[in-house]
Amino acid sequence: MRRQLPILIVFVSGVFMVIQYFIPHESFEFIYEYAMDWIIIIGIFAMLLGLWSLTRASVSKVQAKAPGWGFSVMTLVGLATMLFLGFYKGNKSIAEGTFFMDLFWYIYTPIQATMFSLLAFYIASAAYRSFRVRTVLATILLVTALIIMLRLIPLGPISGVNQWLASWILTVPNMAAKRAIWIGVGLGATATALKIIFGIERAYMGKD
Amino acid sequence: MKKTKAVLFSILIILFFFNLSFPQENLSPPPPTEVRASDTQNDNGHSITITWKLSGDDGAGKKNVVAYEILRSELPTGEFVVRGMVPAGNNTYQDRGAKEKEDKNYFPPHKDFYYKVRAKTLNSYSESEVAGPAQAYGEWFHLGKLPVFVGTLAFTIMVLAFISLARKGKEFYVRPLAGIDAVDDAIGRATEMGRPILYILGLGSAADIATIASFTILNRIAKKTAEHKTKIIVPCNDPIVMSVAQETVKAGYLDAGRPDMYKEENIFYLTSMQFAYVAAVNGIMLREQTATNFYLGKFYAESLILAETGSVAGSIQISGTDEIAQIPFFVAATDFTLIGEELYAASAYLGREPLLLGALKAQDLAKAIVMISLASGAVAASFHLDFFLRLFTVQM
Amino acid sequence: MERIGIWIAALLTLGIFSFLYKDNPFYKFCESLFVGISAGYWFVTTFWQVFMPKLADNLVAGRFYYMIGAIFGVLMLLRLFPKIGWLSRWSLALVVGTTAGLYFTRYLVSNGMIQVQNTIIPLYVKGNLSQTIGNLVIVIGTFSGLIYFFFSKEHKGTFGGLAKLGIWFLMLSFGASFGYTVMSRMSLLIGRMDYLLGTWLGLIR
Repeated sequence: MRRQLPILIVFVSGVFMVIQYFIPHESFEFIYEYAMDWIIIIGIFAMLLGLWSLTRASVSKVQAKAPGWGFSVMTLVGLATMLFLGFYKGNKSIAEGTFFMDLFWYIYTPIQATMFSLLAFYIASAAYRSFRVRTVLATILLVTALIIMLRLIPLGPISGVNQWLASWILTVPNMAAKRAIWIGVGLGATATALKIIFGIERAYMGKD
Repeated sequence: MKKTKAVLFSILIILFFFNLSFPQENLSPPPPTEVRASDTQNDNGHSITITWKLSGDDGAGKKNVVAYEILRSELPTGEFVVRGMVPAGNNTYQDRGAKEKEDKNYFPPHKDFYYKVRAKTLNSYSESEVAGPAQAYGEWFHLGKLPVFVGTLAFTIMVLAFISLARKGKEFYVRPLAGIDAVDDAIGRATEMGRPILYILGLGSAADIATIASFTILNRIAKKTAEHKTKIIVPCNDPIVMSVAQETVKAGYLDAGRPDMYKEENIFYLTSMQFAYVAAVNGIMLREQTATNFYLGKFYAESLILAETGSVAGSIQISGTDEIAQIPFFVAATDFTLIGEELYAASAYLGREPLLLGALKAQDLAKAIVMISLASGAVAASFHLDFFLRLFTVQM
Repeated sequence: MERIGIWIAALLTLGIFSFLYKDNPFYKFCESLFVGISAGYWFVTTFWQVFMPKLADNLVAGRFYYMIGAIFGVLMLLRLFPKIGWLSRWSLALVVGTTAGLYFTRYLVSNGMIQVQNTIIPLYVKGNLSQTIGNLVIVIGTFSGLIYFFFSKEHKGTFGGLAKLGIWFLMLSFGASFGYTVMSRMSLLIGRMDYLLGTWLGLIR
């Protein structure tokens, strides 16, 4: 019963969502809209589980004085500060100009932007390590990457040829390969969805 | 007197012939004709489609028609209100409304409406005959999606047929996949080094198919790590994903007969914000010195940061995603990559369960049908035959 | 306040960049603060911008169907209590089942049928050599790519040759994506350098 009922819920909800795709009548539209909203609401309640997990992990480290426990204190302080600032004035707490938003703009945003910018370094190191591999496939990857990268740079007499080649690569063979991947993904995802709906794949349900 | 009458009569004759030579201009354009109003097909029942034949002065004749106005009334002789306008050259309009009764633009279904179409020039107009009554109603099957319905049925039948064959004991061959063959060695390496395994489910939610596929792989890998008595760390960026991951790993440990080894604190939530999650995972990789990293699921720009950090940490890395934009970075930066569909096939490869292999065979059969249709369709299209094209054309 | 904020932002930027050298306490401090602040920010904004309009406002307006979502949400929270935690599987089942059903048709159409429809193109276009060659390459590339993803046959002989052609197309595509992305990643770094050297230190105007 503990396992059968969830699998039945999966089957019924899955079949309903497949059927509603083919029925434009408004009575089925409501089912779709409500189902989507219910999932969002479940996710909102689940946020509390997430916060509980983060808090518990950090508090455990602090209590056990595990290596780096001081940084867990920082995590808890950051979390508690944002929660306090985000609720103490009601829905006005997150308006522009509040301390809550100042922390967002001066702490969260610059760190996020910097993490993103690390990609500039990593893309170079990834390209370098790929090139060292020296296989035919790695060579095709890197030569193509080079042609596409250089398409915006004036290269004298070969600029025109490079730009034409880059444009052709992007619109023709690149599109062909992407379509093959998309079609494969489409069939794979559809099969996975079917396995889930029919209960053939049920590991995510857990066991007792 | 006689002379006066003759002069007046002559003037009248002259004016008559003058009028014939220079007829007065009729400013109104010819009205639209053959106006038809009918329920819009394949919709939710709150729309009527109106079609008409263009006015004679639209693109022909005086060519002075600039637009058409569509008017509606609840009675054929009632007050007509303008519902919309389309530019000249168009002969169709969909009169739509809201489905909520509280909305001021509510369009009631199963109610008679009458329509007229007005052809407008810059300074005049003419109206068609009244068309109707027409009622809007919702359809119970979208005919434009018939190819999808056929495809759904066919694919479902294929999957069920192969699963049935698998249940009867038929063995299925699948070719080796480098990324899957490396899993056992990767887990063995972690066991020998006494270092943990890191499993990243990606940044998708539990509402992403790639994440669901990753859960199925996690279950099998968790079972193997339990058999090897190796720690597995699963940091999550979504609380629902964390919940499902906990159930999945626990099930894997139960399957391996090692439920006592399961520790819920190894599957935890960090944060839902992309780069904060990545920053924390980077820290885990370096501080826990993970021997093997799995990146399987939905990834975005952070894929390269994770892969490069794992490289620096000296981990063996196996990746897989259906995000086309991130596959190149995984290919360049990780040791083995499951490209696109291979991610979805992985659970069948790892478990080697007949039912899952049967479903994989059905995928391959569908792919073969697609390839044959593609090749035949391209050849047919070269001869302007569109039979195959129509099989795959879907109206939304 | 703004000047203090700029200094804090700049120091945190340098802290994250220090990770490129190696893991260090400065980076760990930035990382732990980032995690705590981001988790708090996400919870607060989701509460005010999603929870209140989606659930609270709808219930107040009398749309009681939303109670069903709330009930499943509460069941989710029962995971915190081991004895009745198994009830949360009902919520997980609803999420997973709904997703599977939704994406079944979505992927079949957008990734399957529409892609095949777009690839059924004429192999010969009269009077247009470049389009003829382009169409041929697209059809052959897609076909050989699908051969590569065929799991039921080993890549040997003619089949293997076609699969090899397929992986070459794939690598070409990956290289194109790689090259296409490089410039945008460099611009992100330029943005941070501009912040440090311009906004913070005032060396660039």
